[in-house]
Amino acid sequence: MATTPNTEVRPAPPGAGSSTGPAGTPSAATPGGLADSAAQDHPDAEPRPGDGRPPGAGAREPATDYSDYPVQAARHPGRWVGTVIVGLLVAAIMWSLFTNPRWEWDVVAQWFTAESVIRGLGETLKLTAIAGILGFVLGFLLALMRLSSSPLLASVSWTFSWIFRSTPLLVQLLLWYNLGYLYDKISLGIPFTDVRFFEASTTSLISQFAAAILGLTLNQAAYSAEIIRGGILSVDQGQLEAASALGLPAWRRSTRIVLPQAMRSILPTAFNEIIGLVKGTSVVYVLAYSELFYTVQVIYNRTQQVLPLLLVATLWYIVITSVLSVAQYYIERHYSKGALRTLPLTPLQKLRRFLAVRSANLSVTRKGDR
Amino acid sequence: MTTASITEPTRGLIQIRDVHKSFGANEVLRGITLTVEPGEVVAVLGPSGSGKSTLLRTINHLERVDRGTIAVDGELIGYRPRKGRLHELREHEVLAQRTQIGMVFQSFNLFPHLTALENVTEAPIHAQRRDKASVQDRAVELLARVGLADKIHAYPRQLSGGQQQRVAIARALALDPKIVLFDEPTSALDPELVNEVLDVIRDLAESGTTLVIVTHEMTFARDVADRVVFMDQGVIVEEGTPAEIFGAPRHERTRAFLSKVLEPAYDI
Repeated sequence: MATTPNTEVRPAPPGAGSSTGPAGTPSAATPGGLADSAAQDHPDAEPRPGDGRPPGAGAREPATDYSDYPVQAARHPGRWVGTVIVGLLVAAIMWSLFTNPRWEWDVVAQWFTAESVIRGLGETLKLTAIAGILGFVLGFLLALMRLSSSPLLASVSWTFSWIFRSTPLLVQLLLWYNLGYLYDKISLGIPFTDVRFFEASTTSLISQFAAAILGLTLNQAAYSAEIIRGGILSVDQGQLEAASALGLPAWRRSTRIVLPQAMRSILPTAFNEIIGLVKGTSVVYVLAYSELFYTVQVIYNRTQQVLPLLLVATLWYIVITSVLSVAQYYIERHYSKGALRTLPLTPLQKLRRFLAVRSANLSVTRKGDR
Repeated sequence: MTTASITEPTRGLIQIRDVHKSFGANEVLRGITLTVEPGEVVAVLGPSGSGKSTLLRTINHLERVDRGTIAVDGELIGYRPRKGRLHELREHEVLAQRTQIGMVFQSFNLFPHLTALENVTEAPIHAQRRDKASVQDRAVELLARVGLADKIHAYPRQLSGGQQQRVAIARALALDPKIVLFDEPTSALDPELVNEVLDVIRDLAESGTTLVIVTHEMTFARDVADRVVFMDQGVIVEEGTPAEIFGAPRHERTRAFLSKVLEPAYDI
């Protein structure tokens, strides 16, 4: 524990003053309680390295100047082993992908840009865009309704989300498509009278496309409403209060003050939803609607090249998701304005900086070589 | 002040009459009657929970009163008297009234996604529908007046607390309000930043705008206020000039409060 005050002073190596204490303890503390009583007699005899000399004197010798020593980077052998193992695995997977003839890459290439596939892709994009946009607009209104002080609006919004989140999308799509079975005609008029402004048979009105859009949009709106509501709730109440105190109108308060701040927490989940929707549109194959997935199914049912054609669809879904992910990065960056002191560099800027540093280093080494 | 008082003799008169306000069973304001003259600077003091902030928030109708009336320059806040009834104002009428009353919050409440300049110009352009170019010029001028000429394009998070509060003051002033309400404007600030904000408010006090300041800065209240109001448990316990309140408080509760908040080294 404590070094006794009469511990003999040993020359301490420069800069190693603290090691004197523990090293000196065993020999000094062994002679019975002598060390303890001595420590009690001198309450300020706490471990003081190099005691008997001015405190810290051991460290006072002139420090060695290391300024012209080059720095040797630490070695990370484990990292190298891991890199080699993962590298081998990736190589093995790539090897199997490109050498196993059963992937039939030639068939994939043949169908990847085939006209029917591209048309199906267009339909998928159209469904995603329309259902995504309408879904989020409706979701925004549902979120505002849910947050309104009118109990009727709030409960209607709650019930909407409850119904559309509780039923499978597949069931919703089939229900919309078969609406004609439940209601022969759809008409617009004054309720409880015979006045009709517009009337049409349900089957002519609800095409496959209409059923697909209805199902996807309403389903999407139910989920978006919750995402947007969560985002709005995450904005500090003081923001609304300040906006009210400044006399800003309600719509301006929502769209200019609250929504842009809510976007920061809405966006990551919203993009999750949109990316989910891209692949979710494949469910409309039950309506025999010729989007990407249904088109591919039709083709492989004819040609029996099931896996290569599924690969065609998969590759297109990967392309769409990649584009959306890049878009997500930039949109999130836009809405982080003011939330971060400095915006992070974009990957492109990072690459440019990396290349600039590289070329600078290169020119330095070349100079050194000479 | 002189020019303003000639053209608009009663600009910024606040008449609060018998105002009551409860949150559930908790009665926060229990009959407040107070008149603030145009151009007057009133400091409201009191222990926390005494209803000071609530009183301030009723003046611009952020908080609805349960009973009593508040009038600014003779115009009732939140209501219109007609045929013996008080008709509640529509939302846009309330908003129009609020643009005449600036408010500065304890926690600044700047819009973090807008720059200092955008924070200041937002309300004049979109609440008062004033011309964008002149609003911008005026905003730059106001930011310069609070000492932030070089920060007009900074986002709130890039500013210190004191700078943020000065932007918030500029934002309130951009509406050309008759009255500015300050709700503990320096309570969220580090001690060394308090004075830069108080200097701006002091400057404003001399310009002839009616100010109501809820504060814990006793020295400041004594130096700047024309009148000090001491509140406790939802009522005004006593009011008077700073010399009267700080020098010879008549009420026991005022004395007890002042002895707690004034440092011993502070001789009056």
